[in-house]
Amino acid sequence: MSNQKYIAKALSISAFAMLILSTPACKKSFLDVPPQALEKSEEFFVTQEDATRAVSSIYANLREWKQTAFAPIAIESVGSDDAEKGSSATDATFFNAYDNFTVSSSEGQLNDFWLGQYQSINLCNQVIDKIPAIEMDASLKSRYIAEAKFVRAYNYFRLVRAYGDVVLRLHLPKDASEYNLPRSPKAEVYAAIEQDLTDAAAVLPPTYPASDIGRATKGAALALHAKVAMYQKKWADVLNYTNQVMGMGYTLFPSFEGQFRIPNENNSESIFEIQAETLSGIPGASNSQYSQVQGVRAQSGGGWGFNVPTEELADAFEPGDPRRDATIIFRGETTPQGDPVAATGDNPRYNQKSYVPFSTPFVQNEGEAQNVRVIRYAEVLLMNAEAANELGNTAQALSSLELVRARARGGNSAILPEVTTTDQGQLRLAIWHERHVELAMEFDRYFDVIRQGRAAEIFGPKGWKPNKNEVWPIPQNEIDLSAGVLTQNPGY
Amino acid sequence: MKRIITISLYGVLCLLLINRAYAQNVTVSGTVTDATTGETLIGVSVAVKSTQTGAQTGPDGTFSISAPANGELTFSYIGYTTQTVAINGRTTIDVKLAAAANELQQVVVVGYGTQRKLDVTGSVAQVSGDDIAKQPSTNAVSSLQGRVAGVQITNSGAPGASPQVRIRGVGTVYGDPNPLYVVDGVWFNDISFLNPNDIESISVLKDASSQAIYGVRAANGVLLVTTRKGKGKPSINYSGYAGWQTVTHQPKLASGTEYATLINELNRVSAPTAPLTFADPASFGRGTEWMNVVLRSAFTTKHDVTVSGSSDKSSYSFSGGYFKQEGVVRGNDYDRITAHLQQDVQATNFLKLGYNVVLQGSKSKDVPGDMIYKAFTAAPIVPVYYDDGSYGDPNDFPIGSSTNNPQAALDFFNQRSRNYRATGNIYAEAKFTDYLKFRTSFGGEFGQNEVLGYNPVYKATATQFNEVSDLSVSRSDVRNIIWENTLTFEKSFGDHRITALAGHSAQRYKSYFINATAMGVPYTTDADLYLTLGPATIKGPDGKDMPAKTVADGGDITTFQSFFGRINYAFKDKYLLNVSLRRDGSSKFIGDQRYGVFPSIGAGWVISNEDFMKDQKIFDNLKLRGSWGKIGNASVPNNLATQTVKQDGSFVAIIGGVPLTGANLTTIVPPYVYWERGVGTDIGVEMAFLNNRLTFEADFYNKETEQAIFNLPILASLGTSNSFLIGNQATYRNRGFEFAATWRDTKSKDFSYSISGNFSINNNKVSSTVTGANPIYGGGAASTGGGLATRTIVGQPIGQFYGYVVEGIFQNAAEISSSPQSSDAKPGDFRYADLNNDGKIDPKDDRTVIGNPNPKYLFGLNTTFNYKQFDLTVDIQGVAGVDVYNAVKGLRFGAENFTKDFFDNRWHGEGTSNSYPSAAIGGGRNYLPNSYFVESGSYIRVRNLQLGYNLPERLTSKIFAKRLRVFANAQNAFNFFGYKGFNPEVSGGTPGNFGIDNGVYPIYATYNFGVNVTF
Repeated sequence: MSNQKYIAKALSISAFAMLILSTPACKKSFLDVPPQALEKSEEFFVTQEDATRAVSSIYANLREWKQTAFAPIAIESVGSDDAEKGSSATDATFFNAYDNFTVSSSEGQLNDFWLGQYQSINLCNQVIDKIPAIEMDASLKSRYIAEAKFVRAYNYFRLVRAYGDVVLRLHLPKDASEYNLPRSPKAEVYAAIEQDLTDAAAVLPPTYPASDIGRATKGAALALHAKVAMYQKKWADVLNYTNQVMGMGYTLFPSFEGQFRIPNENNSESIFEIQAETLSGIPGASNSQYSQVQGVRAQSGGGWGFNVPTEELADAFEPGDPRRDATIIFRGETTPQGDPVAATGDNPRYNQKSYVPFSTPFVQNEGEAQNVRVIRYAEVLLMNAEAANELGNTAQALSSLELVRARARGGNSAILPEVTTTDQGQLRLAIWHERHVELAMEFDRYFDVIRQGRAAEIFGPKGWKPNKNEVWPIPQNEIDLSAGVLTQNPGY
Repeated sequence: MKRIITISLYGVLCLLLINRAYAQNVTVSGTVTDATTGETLIGVSVAVKSTQTGAQTGPDGTFSISAPANGELTFSYIGYTTQTVAINGRTTIDVKLAAAANELQQVVVVGYGTQRKLDVTGSVAQVSGDDIAKQPSTNAVSSLQGRVAGVQITNSGAPGASPQVRIRGVGTVYGDPNPLYVVDGVWFNDISFLNPNDIESISVLKDASSQAIYGVRAANGVLLVTTRKGKGKPSINYSGYAGWQTVTHQPKLASGTEYATLINELNRVSAPTAPLTFADPASFGRGTEWMNVVLRSAFTTKHDVTVSGSSDKSSYSFSGGYFKQEGVVRGNDYDRITAHLQQDVQATNFLKLGYNVVLQGSKSKDVPGDMIYKAFTAAPIVPVYYDDGSYGDPNDFPIGSSTNNPQAALDFFNQRSRNYRATGNIYAEAKFTDYLKFRTSFGGEFGQNEVLGYNPVYKATATQFNEVSDLSVSRSDVRNIIWENTLTFEKSFGDHRITALAGHSAQRYKSYFINATAMGVPYTTDADLYLTLGPATIKGPDGKDMPAKTVADGGDITTFQSFFGRINYAFKDKYLLNVSLRRDGSSKFIGDQRYGVFPSIGAGWVISNEDFMKDQKIFDNLKLRGSWGKIGNASVPNNLATQTVKQDGSFVAIIGGVPLTGANLTTIVPPYVYWERGVGTDIGVEMAFLNNRLTFEADFYNKETEQAIFNLPILASLGTSNSFLIGNQATYRNRGFEFAATWRDTKSKDFSYSISGNFSINNNKVSSTVTGANPIYGGGAASTGGGLATRTIVGQPIGQFYGYVVEGIFQNAAEISSSPQSSDAKPGDFRYADLNNDGKIDPKDDRTVIGNPNPKYLFGLNTTFNYKQFDLTVDIQGVAGVDVYNAVKGLRFGAENFTKDFFDNRWHGEGTSNSYPSAAIGGGRNYLPNSYFVESGSYIRVRNLQLGYNLPERLTSKIFAKRLRVFANAQNAFNFFGYKGFNPEVSGGTPGNFGIDNGVYPIYATYNFGVNVTF
């Protein structure tokens, strides 16, 4: 081999060597690639602003599909005598199984409702567990935690009514050993709900400045606590909490019908509303479908027409009760806002409480701006009346009841005569009737009747069976995945 | 790292200092020709035996070499039997090389090199480019279907979609389930950009020991693709075809009358006393045949030109291809141009440089992805157009809004995609001595995908409309680099032959996307389709100004760094030993989990080369081999163990009437994820009989996938937004046998033929799961109302179908009340079996295994016949012992159409059917996962049928062509299966979700005519 070739070889080898040695591949950092374009959890729950964002997510999530649309219709509404599936006969026929109590544990809405509530609970638990370590304004910190506890109580209340014993998570799981928890007895769940509401009421302010409207208030915590106590027949507590709310300055909105319209949201009667809005320019933020799924079907609003009032509900109102027309949109009518409802349509009736006038603009879903009225002052008055009656305080019962009827009457003395009976049993029925018509189509009736112990009588004809249908089945998927840690409710 | 390189460099330098000298040499020259055809052979390696002196034949087949006058010359050439000739003082030696009939002399491509088939101790199958190019497939991988034992190719049928490849059963299925494709040394997870015509061969590494040298990405198998290189005299080749594609096995759907009848029945199920929805179903007659509205016979054509050649110092091959395929769905068009550029040059006698480049550009006019589903479900009572020319609107009929007008969906869909890709490598090979070679290869991929969509303002039906136009533009690109350096030592010492390899590999994969949209962009011509022409804000429906444009981006980077080595040792061509080791590091894993070590060992015994076998006449070849290896899988998504913050519109709260940004943590993540590992053993036997006319190969394999990465469903009560936790959840095993046999015979000058068959059996079994004795459930689908249709449990195959057993159909109310399922059933519903006879049907005790989605048997039969100027190819292929969950049957939201089969067999009153339910199939208790939906997925098909005719030379010479062949081809023309859906080939799905047919593409047959001419 010639010298030249040697030199060429030596040169090429040195070139390779230099290439190899200079490559980033030889540095350890070549394998250290940080996650791209992602905000990491370690960077969250650090500042006050993070805390604010986390609490906002809780409120925003309440308007989401599983919280306000199909799942509540299945679990909290169509089982009652007031509502049925609606829509077109062939669409979403699974609702019928909730209406006639043939639902099997595999039906999807059972899982959706369950998941929806627990997703909200997770958001609350994040706040409750992680905000304490943030260095921030102390009073704001405790208020944020209280707001989260209110929402968590609301979620657990919906769960315990729907399923009885449920998995109780009051903290984030520490590790995988806490992923699969058994159901806690109903009484424990109720105790946890009450503790949350007691904590919340102690911290939350009675009112907020205009810029904070929509957050949970002390009145909301007390009113929900009253309802939770009512489901446990703790009448003295119901009376106590409702009396407190009645001293906080709430008043019934003059127009029964008007209080459900968008311009009158967060009015003097409103105790807690899930806030929704048309938000142009924020993709995904106008995601409430509460009004859309119940809207008048196939009319310009493009509603889907589910969860429609039954004839029984229409017949439940006393003669001339204006709430009948304010609760039910009848086929062929013209709404107070001037929308003509076609006389030919799939359904004779639609829910008017969720109704949004057809011409209301939207970016994502029809009626996306409609708030969900969770607790109204009228219900506080009716709970007050019921508790007072149960405790023998007939006079207060009658006076609270009359407040509700008087507003409904709207000055027309020819209708809705004042209830005067002092018989505890008759008065109880009168109050229950008032709940029925005042709160109709507000997702209260189904569990209210069960609470009253009248479900076999009222829902029995359509298939409701005692010792089974008080609660829905635990979602089968969840039982499967728990490998038997979760048990099924009796009868399913 | 540094140390290894230093050591290797010292080694290299030392070796260079060894000098050599020879004496009494003569210069021998001559010509090497093909023993049969007499054609000169170019690039034949000529070596002086027992020395390092070598030369190659030039373009005219001649060589010249300096050698001892009493020495011997060895002539070796790929595909030919090596010949050794004693010089005996001659200066001219002409040699005729015979094509290697003996497979063992053939050279196969293995990881980072080639090996004689004889030396291979693992299971490697090689398919030639000619066999691949014969089929009119867009993707070369489709052409492997039925050709290699134990390799299951599932074609999805969707235009442009890559087939699913499974080698020896389900490998890993999380993340990227594709095997690794190594194209000329560059790694890919998909080769749809490659023109099948540019492929020289595809080598399938089937066993863990062969795959282990690719440790990091080998768990799903490795396919080594070698592109064509110039060989021989300069030539110009044109090949092309034109033909058409048409959907076969289009399922018959219910007619208008039948549909209306079924909807009447469906509505009567929930409202038995309501008036009939359609008073006179007969008035609808045949109705609209929506499948025919959207489907067509589609034109396809392909043209390729290759210019190639080689000399003793260099080779080159340049090709250009054009491919056009109309989709079988109207309006869908795909055009692709490809170029393949290859060149290498022996720059000096020790340095060789070269490159391979593949360029690809494609464009398509897209159709909605669910077009076939839309046509399948559309109501036949709705006309395409009304008499006034407006679209038929399902909302004008009492059938809800679950279906739409497919024609309108097609007409207002306006999307175009383009894809550009440049891939390839440049390499340099330095041959320090005859036995030591250093190779460095720098390669990569630059790809860009563009999608432009414009949704115009229109109103077709009450539910198909758009009020504000929007334009969306998205760009995604990949920029991947791979740099590999290998040092190869290859030397024989007497009876010992050693090849040793040491290497280093660094890889970086970067992806990026940016999507932008603009509302209110006016349209008059395509020249208006720019985001910038849209307004900055538009009036929102609430009257307020809202931004009219959005932009979002994202990206990912993954890096790998690896070292590897391998030693192949052969003694007297009788005893073989191969050992390899690879250590991989990946940025996907953190801390101690970052590195994985993947060893392998293989041994072989060529019994037929033993002295005691010399006199036997039975075996031309008999070889036993066994191997073991470990392989890894890093094809999991990045940042699995990183918990991220969710912040989006759905978390924007409205407080005080104004939006407040919200964010929170909504997921749980696994604390760590390990490499998934495969451990495989393979025992094989290779035999040849009857003068190598009959060859036979059999393998037994066992492959454990340890720490398999699985989706573990998360309990909903954790409230996470992710419903699955990804992690190392299970260990499972694929075990089976593969058999391949070929009979090849030349009966006369005019007639030769070959018949190859392959058959494989695979059994899949889960050995352990993190859930212990508890199953992992999966397979929740819309068609089951989210019910879990599969179960993975220790001791059983992965993801078996799990549900109720249908015993029959309830005929009347009396039957229901006397059965365990009592109140919730209606006449016409499925009657489920009470498996434990406890008097009730409950999910705990009455669900069982109802099917297995893991195919048990694969088979293929490939035959070619040559008679005079004619050649005929028939390829048959099939799968057996597999079940499919035909979820489409129950996937109903409202008034979707039914199949004719369902109409003909449904229950519609007492005694009408005891196997098909009433029209209320898609809901209530009927759609609980059950045995009615499980069908056999077995099929057999004539995959390819080709008849060719070579024009006689006296004709071709008139146009100065060396060869001219015309052919007619039919692909997928004949399919046999009992499956009631479109197509029993159901691909995709993560573990626990495969084999569920939620709507697949129909099979289509391709018929074409083509010509192949070489000048």
